[in-house]
Amino acid sequence: MRRTLAPLALAVALAAAPAVAGDVSVDVRDQAGKPVRDAVVMIRPAGGVAPGTPMKVNWPMVMAQQNTQFTPYVLIVPLGSTVSFPNKDKVRHHVYSFSAPKKFELKLYGRDETRSITFDKPGAVSLGCNIHDSMIAFIFVSDTPFAAKSNPQGVAVVQDAPAGGATLLVWHPDLKARAPIARPLAVAGAAQRATVTVELRPALTR
Amino acid sequence: MFSRLSTRLTVLYAALFGAVLLVVSVAVFGAISGAAQRQVRAELAATGTVFDRVWSLRSERLREGASLLSRDFGFREAAATGDAPTIESALENLRNRMDVDHAFMVDAAGQIVGASFSDVDQARLAKAFETADDPSGVFRLAGEPYQLVSAPILSPELIGWVVFAERLDEAEMQALEKMAAIPLSAVVLNRAAGGAWTNAHAPAELNSDAVRQMVERSLKARPPTPQDLRLKSGRTVALVKPLPSLEPGGGAVLLLRYPLARALAPYEPLLLIVGLLGVVGLAVVSWGSWALARSLTRPISELDEAAHRLQRGEDAHVEVKGEDEIGRLASSFNTMAAEIRERERKITHQAMHDDDTGLPNRHALERLVAGLTDFPQGQVYVCALGLDRFHHMRHALGHKLSAQAVRMVGNRLGGLAPTCGVARIASDMLGFVLIADGEAAALDHVAGLLLSLEQPVRVQGEPIDVALSIGLAPLQGDEVAASIERASIAVDQARAARTKTAVFDAEAYGDPAANLSLMSNLLTGILQDQLVLWHQPKFDMRKNAVTGTEALVRWNHPVRGMIFPDVFITMAEETGHIRALTEWVVRRAIADQRALAEAGYDLSVAVNISGRVLGEPDFIDFARDALKDAVGRICFEITETAVIENPAVALGMLEAFADMGVSISIDDYGSGLSSLAYLKQIRGDELKLDRSIVADVTGSQRDALIVRSTIDLAHSLGLKVVAEGIETDACFSVLAGMGCDMAQGYLIARPQPIAQLLEFLAESREQTRAQRRKRRA
Repeated sequence: MRRTLAPLALAVALAAAPAVAGDVSVDVRDQAGKPVRDAVVMIRPAGGVAPGTPMKVNWPMVMAQQNTQFTPYVLIVPLGSTVSFPNKDKVRHHVYSFSAPKKFELKLYGRDETRSITFDKPGAVSLGCNIHDSMIAFIFVSDTPFAAKSNPQGVAVVQDAPAGGATLLVWHPDLKARAPIARPLAVAGAAQRATVTVELRPALTR
Repeated sequence: MFSRLSTRLTVLYAALFGAVLLVVSVAVFGAISGAAQRQVRAELAATGTVFDRVWSLRSERLREGASLLSRDFGFREAAATGDAPTIESALENLRNRMDVDHAFMVDAAGQIVGASFSDVDQARLAKAFETADDPSGVFRLAGEPYQLVSAPILSPELIGWVVFAERLDEAEMQALEKMAAIPLSAVVLNRAAGGAWTNAHAPAELNSDAVRQMVERSLKARPPTPQDLRLKSGRTVALVKPLPSLEPGGGAVLLLRYPLARALAPYEPLLLIVGLLGVVGLAVVSWGSWALARSLTRPISELDEAAHRLQRGEDAHVEVKGEDEIGRLASSFNTMAAEIRERERKITHQAMHDDDTGLPNRHALERLVAGLTDFPQGQVYVCALGLDRFHHMRHALGHKLSAQAVRMVGNRLGGLAPTCGVARIASDMLGFVLIADGEAAALDHVAGLLLSLEQPVRVQGEPIDVALSIGLAPLQGDEVAASIERASIAVDQARAARTKTAVFDAEAYGDPAANLSLMSNLLTGILQDQLVLWHQPKFDMRKNAVTGTEALVRWNHPVRGMIFPDVFITMAEETGHIRALTEWVVRRAIADQRALAEAGYDLSVAVNISGRVLGEPDFIDFARDALKDAVGRICFEITETAVIENPAVALGMLEAFADMGVSISIDDYGSGLSSLAYLKQIRGDELKLDRSIVADVTGSQRDALIVRSTIDLAHSLGLKVVAEGIETDACFSVLAGMGCDMAQGYLIARPQPIAQLLEFLAESREQTRAQRRKRRA
């Protein structure tokens, strides 16, 4: 019986492991057809995601303050990540967020000081500095491991998306709808391209 | 148009001044009105600029207030976390501090938080806030325009706006109006759905097409300028300031307006003074020009009236005033008028007076008599006083002295009867008039005058006898000239009758006018047998019997009765009717001769042939034709003068008559210029001695001698002699003794109609027989 169970477990394991997966390149365009950078593109497979499936992150979980700017502007982090907020400026910053997924306040801290916050709820968290109004950044807490940020050409490559039915989600700080826009996507399991057009609000000037 | 010069001048000057005044008034009004308008426009523009500034300052203040809240960390946290009570209290706190009408929050979806408005179009509001960071401008809340100023709430991304709303109500507008130097009216207008620009609180008159067009026009113009706007309340200068609007597709403007009437009001006293000065000036100019024109035209009017007076023959003297042209004209006019009057007087005198004697003339007498026509008929007598043989006097004394004699007679008459109106009516005749009760009284009166008048007059110291005759004619009706004429004729009648005085005898004179109509009736008379032939017997002295008759025509006129030939023969000769008359007489004579013959009397009948007829050779043909019917001898009596006119023709005709067997009798011998030369040439049978040389044959030895020698001459030429006009036995005897052959006259018989002639003949035949019997016995 054990012998018979072993192949079954293998089969289950095999079945649980993505049999076929592929990179999905999503071309994000605004209503004017221009490429949209810093868009968060996510693929949520219809069959769910095996627990423990890691997000393929090739960027650090850091939101630095440099030149009275947050860097990067948009940071995608997996659910439960801890992000550090190093201050690389000579001035002090007072980082805060009133967003629902993570409401926090890092009161004045100085140069080369680092604070860390763990983001345990999915969603967009807007970051501001109470001292410097012009400082703004977003941390997007993704509940799916298949997420990527669009490059300056507006292309986000979601790696190893499992083949099958899925929902393609796109979010951007200037999104008019504010909530991520979703559309169905059949993931082929091989490299494929998709184009998403999003409606943006005019960028705020400050 | 104006018949009076003064009116014309006055009207002309007044009209000129009025026109100038009008131009000045219009110019003044235009200048004032223009200046006022410019001032109002400048003020409006300035107010507009001030308003811009006020608007922006207020916006800024509100924005800062809003910004203060929107940046507050605590507020941002409350806003981001949707802590409504906190938000509302914070807004209320700020609203009180800033003293604004409303303060509220608009979230990112455009929803109002922290305030409640009954009537807000959320969709509109959302749309207004969708596109702008810090929207501000005019927006309608609950139907009223508000100035909205907002500040974004960043936490850190945009989650909404803090909004302050200030009502743009009347109080606000009044505050704005107070800032202007002139009392203008300000109102905010919104674009309504239909394109109209309205405001619930704006005056109704602004809701018009004119306003709408002006707003549309101003919105296109950059920058908007003040413009004229016609409203029901009058002309207005208006400025439209576009206001930033939050209304999607809508607009808001601030309308600043200022009535022009109010702008002109300060100038009204000035305009009134100009108008008043104009009226006073017009009155003064009218009065002045009228006075001037009157001073000019009054002398002219006076001259005009004087000219009219001159025309009517009245005194035309004009009082000369001044030394100017008109004065000189008046002076000249007076001279002229005086000369004209003098000339007129002379002419009138000449017209009424005789040049030679200075006595009034016939015309003057006529005038005098014409004034007497009111007297009863037969009381006024026009008298003519003739100087007998005046031509002798004139011949002897010359024209001037004879006229002097006439004047002296006239003056004497004037002295005797001062009111008789002595006038010279002909060179030898004076006329006057007298009033008398009847003809006899008048004649008595003039006879009395004659006694005094016929005294010799002294001309250049020499006494000259004057013989006078006076003719009278009663004034008949208003025939003044005719009466004078009749009186003149009466003078001749008096002379002819040698009575010294005579009343005009119309019967003796005949009536020349009536004669003329008589002639036109003559032919009718011939045709209608109104003529009758009378016969005067010719008595043969040797045979002691009537052997012939002279046929004499009479006209039995139906109106005038019997007319004798001396009235109409001469006229018949002149009018050419004599031929027809003669022909009638010849035929009648031949007919009568036959009648006599039938009664047993074989008589020769003589017919008078006029010289006129002797000039017409075709009369021979008539005579030849007529004489065929003659039963006895026909004799043509002609006068020598008849032959003298055209001897060749007349003598030839007489030859022809003689050849026909007609006896030719030479009539009226001795009355005129009896020419022995013609007597010799005429182949006559008989010579008739005129009554003028026969009449005195018994009294005058000389006449007797002439008659006797004429009878002898006639006999020696082979002519029988007939004596006419035998009225007495003595005459008859003398002529018989002289060897006269025949006698004709009243002694034998008057001319008579044929019936009477027949009786006469019968009677004389009986007498002859009786005489013969007596002689035999």
